[in-house]
Amino acid sequence: MEIKDSLQEAYIEHVLLHGEQPKTVYLFARENGITEAEFYTHFGSFESIDIRIWQSMMAEAIREVKAQEVWPEYSSRERALSLFYGFMELLKSRRSFVTFSLRNGKNRIGLSNLFEGMKQEFELFSADIIREGIESGELTDRPFFSGKYKDALWVQLGLVINFWLKDTSAGFDKTDEAIEKGVNVTYNLFQRSPIDELFEYGKFLAKNSGIKMPF
Amino acid sequence: MIRKDENEQRSIPTSKVERSTQFVKTGFKIGGNYVKHYSKKLFNSDLSKDELNEDNAADIYESLSKLKGSALKVAQMLSMDKNILPKAYVNQFSQSQYNAPPLSGPLIVQTFRKLHGKAPEKIYDKFNLKSSNAASIGQVHQAELNGRKLAVKIQYPGVGDSISSDLKLVKPFAFRLIGMSEKELDVYMREVEERLLEETDYELEVKRSMEISKACAHLQNIVFPTYYPELSSKRTITMDWIEGLHLKEYLETNPSQEERNTIGQALWDFYNFQQHELRAVHADPHPGNFIITPDAKLGIIDFGCIKELPDDFYYPFFSLTSAGFFNDKEKTLKAFRQLEMIHEKDSASEVEFYYDMYRQMIGLFAKPYSSESFDFSGTEFFEQIYNYGEMIAKMPEFKQARGVKHFIYVNRTNFGLYNILHELKATVRTDTYVPQVNYAD
Repeated sequence: MEIKDSLQEAYIEHVLLHGEQPKTVYLFARENGITEAEFYTHFGSFESIDIRIWQSMMAEAIREVKAQEVWPEYSSRERALSLFYGFMELLKSRRSFVTFSLRNGKNRIGLSNLFEGMKQEFELFSADIIREGIESGELTDRPFFSGKYKDALWVQLGLVINFWLKDTSAGFDKTDEAIEKGVNVTYNLFQRSPIDELFEYGKFLAKNSGIKMPF
Repeated sequence: MIRKDENEQRSIPTSKVERSTQFVKTGFKIGGNYVKHYSKKLFNSDLSKDELNEDNAADIYESLSKLKGSALKVAQMLSMDKNILPKAYVNQFSQSQYNAPPLSGPLIVQTFRKLHGKAPEKIYDKFNLKSSNAASIGQVHQAELNGRKLAVKIQYPGVGDSISSDLKLVKPFAFRLIGMSEKELDVYMREVEERLLEETDYELEVKRSMEISKACAHLQNIVFPTYYPELSSKRTITMDWIEGLHLKEYLETNPSQEERNTIGQALWDFYNFQQHELRAVHADPHPGNFIITPDAKLGIIDFGCIKELPDDFYYPFFSLTSAGFFNDKEKTLKAFRQLEMIHEKDSASEVEFYYDMYRQMIGLFAKPYSSESFDFSGTEFFEQIYNYGEMIAKMPEFKQARGVKHFIYVNRTNFGLYNILHELKATVRTDTYVPQVNYAD
């Protein structure tokens, strides 16, 4: 195992056993048989370990869902759903650490920093499936807006994580429902809708009927 | 901590709020339909209410089908009661027996991972992620294992949880459709809720399916699928795939009268054997639960809803259907009282009124029993039922709770059965399994 990974594991274990971050970098380094200086060559702070953990969870979830036999048959929408389910399953298996990290991250560095690595992974993935969706005609290409689709998915992920943290249903069944409904709503917005037609109709009238627009 | 609790409490009703807005929307739309109706009527005074009813039914159906789960089930139930609802409603509601938007592929995979620990393609040799049918609170997929073709039923997540709140939301609608007050009918609503909750328990369904198919194995021309409890869980059921056509499709193939009689007879025997011998009956006779196999046998594929008939209901009720029983007014009144169709505090004239009305109802109900065989193809019998339903729906005397709760499912079962036999235009022998009421004499 790479030393970065083993430090990451040791950090998670410490948090789970003690319910807090290690007291100092010095102590943590010594426990793991390295010097403090060596620690800093891998991570700038404990927070950067947290950031890397979130990033690697997302990377792992993406790897796992892509490895499924059915993956090639999935539409863009199904791929998004599949990642959401896969990622949330992964979070469930580490719920204690996840809740600690979120609470801690919120106070110390802010959630947007905590998620910066994860967001990169997620955006690469979403950009891919959205592009595929647009190419296949499943999603509508809208100037300016289609570039924002991935942000909408990111917001949806945030909503789902928040929902899950408050979910008390057995087996987190409600979270599954939240994913199914949430991702479908978001994807429905990406598809062609009456608004597109209204917009095009307006454009057509403006060009061809000689009606002066009031603006 | 306090904040967290606050959030949790807030998080629970949100989904209910979502659902109620769905209904509020429908309410507005229905309001709109009335406006449309009356403004049209200003110009055209002989516009009938049919169009209005149709508009309303379409909107109610639309909002119910979005709700899925138990609300869809209620739509189905209402659609069974052709004798209560105006025809326009029925046509729209009947649609709910056939379509509902499917679960996504990834959610199915997720459900299997959770309940069986493995993705479906790891459990079965083949598994089709596209569902082949909707089953009101779930959907059906085709699969294959060791060369056997299987049907796998998967329940929508959260159905059980939302039943109670869905029913509360459906209540005012249901009661407006039926025209009764909400409070008095609570006891019926609870009965419905109980049955619906049972239906969400797939482990119970597998157990009952196996019991009943064993008890009914000797009946002619009926096939039951084999169930696989080891491949089932609280939200999935695996059973054999039965090849064949749904009733509607089957009827389009123009089957011969003889064949239709055979199927009809099988249906009749199946229901009446259960009612009179097992005293527990498959209480969901909607066409989607039956498959007609290529060799013209009746396949029964859904045992979600079982109604047990307790003795204190069975004996008074079915003794009413025995020949000549109505000649004895005292005995009839006694049975009506036992069944709470006539109340203690009713005045003498009320007793007379209900005695008369209920005699008509039971008379209609028992008509097929009154001879050895009955031809269900005629429309006259059904017009009578329908007109009777229309008539009592308009009577203020019936806008109150009367009759024990068991009536809901027993009526639904038997009138549902009559309806299917009517669609089949079948003539059946009705003396194969008859009410066992000697005890009551």
